[in-house]
Amino acid sequence: MVWGSMIAWYLFLAGASAGAFLTSAFVEAKYPDSTVMRIAGRLIAPVFLGIGLLMLMLDAEAGLHNPLRFFYLIMNPGSVMTLGVYCICVFFPVALAAAVLEVLKRPVPKWLTWTGIVSAFCVAAYTGFLLGVVKACPLWNNAILPILFVVSALSAGLAVTSLVGLILDRKRFEQMWLVKKGHVILSAVEMVVLFTMLVIVSSGSIEGAASVQSLLTGEYAPMFWGGLVLLGLVAPFAIEGYPVFITRKVETSTTSMVVSVIGESGVLVGGFLLRLLVIMAALPVMYL
Amino acid sequence: MARYGMLINTKKCVGCFACRVACQMANGLQSDESFIHFKEEETGVYPNVHAEVVPVQCMHCENAPCQQVCPTHATYTTDSGVVLVDENKCIGCKYCMAACPYGVRIAIKETGVIEKCRFCWDGSEVGNPPRCVNTCISGARVFGDLDDPNSDISQEIAATNARPLASHLTDAKIYYVR
Repeated sequence: MVWGSMIAWYLFLAGASAGAFLTSAFVEAKYPDSTVMRIAGRLIAPVFLGIGLLMLMLDAEAGLHNPLRFFYLIMNPGSVMTLGVYCICVFFPVALAAAVLEVLKRPVPKWLTWTGIVSAFCVAAYTGFLLGVVKACPLWNNAILPILFVVSALSAGLAVTSLVGLILDRKRFEQMWLVKKGHVILSAVEMVVLFTMLVIVSSGSIEGAASVQSLLTGEYAPMFWGGLVLLGLVAPFAIEGYPVFITRKVETSTTSMVVSVIGESGVLVGGFLLRLLVIMAALPVMYL
Repeated sequence: MARYGMLINTKKCVGCFACRVACQMANGLQSDESFIHFKEEETGVYPNVHAEVVPVQCMHCENAPCQQVCPTHATYTTDSGVVLVDENKCIGCKYCMAACPYGVRIAIKETGVIEKCRFCWDGSEVGNPPRCVNTCISGARVFGDLDDPNSDISQEIAATNARPLASHLTDAKIYYVR
């Protein structure tokens, strides 16, 4: 395909960044005592997005040679990429400001958090629309992809923030039932949305069907089933879901911590693979 | 104002690649970079089969998808309907490559700019005619003004019932006899 792993990294990091910011806002509102996760989310957001934007610039070679050309990116509001730049122009400074305030131990004003929340959703969503409007690729050109990307972004942001909470502030993290429940539900929703997308895309066109086939049984099958479905969706769903919905007790053992780390990391691997696979497996429509 | 287009007669094309080489020379492309791509198409069931070589290049679409998605307005359309790339604005994001249904936009290795056929645009006008047309050994290519009913191309389109490759995808200005 046209794009490769660099762009997949960007799409993943931008999504996870938005998700991390939203997680920190949620933690701040619901668990004011849990400072570690709040700080983690606020710091991760600008760092991840910064790395992602670097990837983006490295991939855009003509701009890399002439960096001033990147200013032209605001020129075409009819392009989703330009709209994404607008979203990032709001989200990145806000996330950066929130992180700096956090480091300086100053309170982050409500209006800043709310601006961040809205722009974070826009950043998470635009990556899906970016691919979604490309009519030439049926795997992308459907209404479900942006939703899938948003759900995955929230899940990845929650996972990376939880990972920090799990390791640095476990006692409090294990008490955060809303976060844990939300995480399980997001994994479940993502499975449903992914399933829906594959069914609809494969019934829509020959090229769509071929794209889906390459994921399910073709060259991308090992990555799809092993990486995305098993490690990225089913394992985290089971690992997080079991204590939250079945045993309903606070875990303290080291084993459960290791398992949880695997679960959260799995979500991150899955989030990256989802974007990589969506980029790689897209076949263009035939015209001859 | 003229509205430039091209006709490619695949029944005359022998697949010699002369047009591609001429294009590479005219546009300063490397041997592995080309604006003209060749598709080989086989249809039918033995013994009733049909094989053809289809040279494909930028179709200079009306409302070109590549232009719509280009975030920097590097891709634009001239008044004469030629889709061009301003190489001083292109950042090489490759969104146009993804959006082009014909897959004919390519990255120039040296600059990273995403280029394509420009009808041999010299800065103010199209080539008269573009090199691929001039070079074609079998006269498979006709170039001209689609809006002028007396132009060679308009006459030829009418005579051969030539059509764009995929009118369901875009409104292209390259017509094919197949």
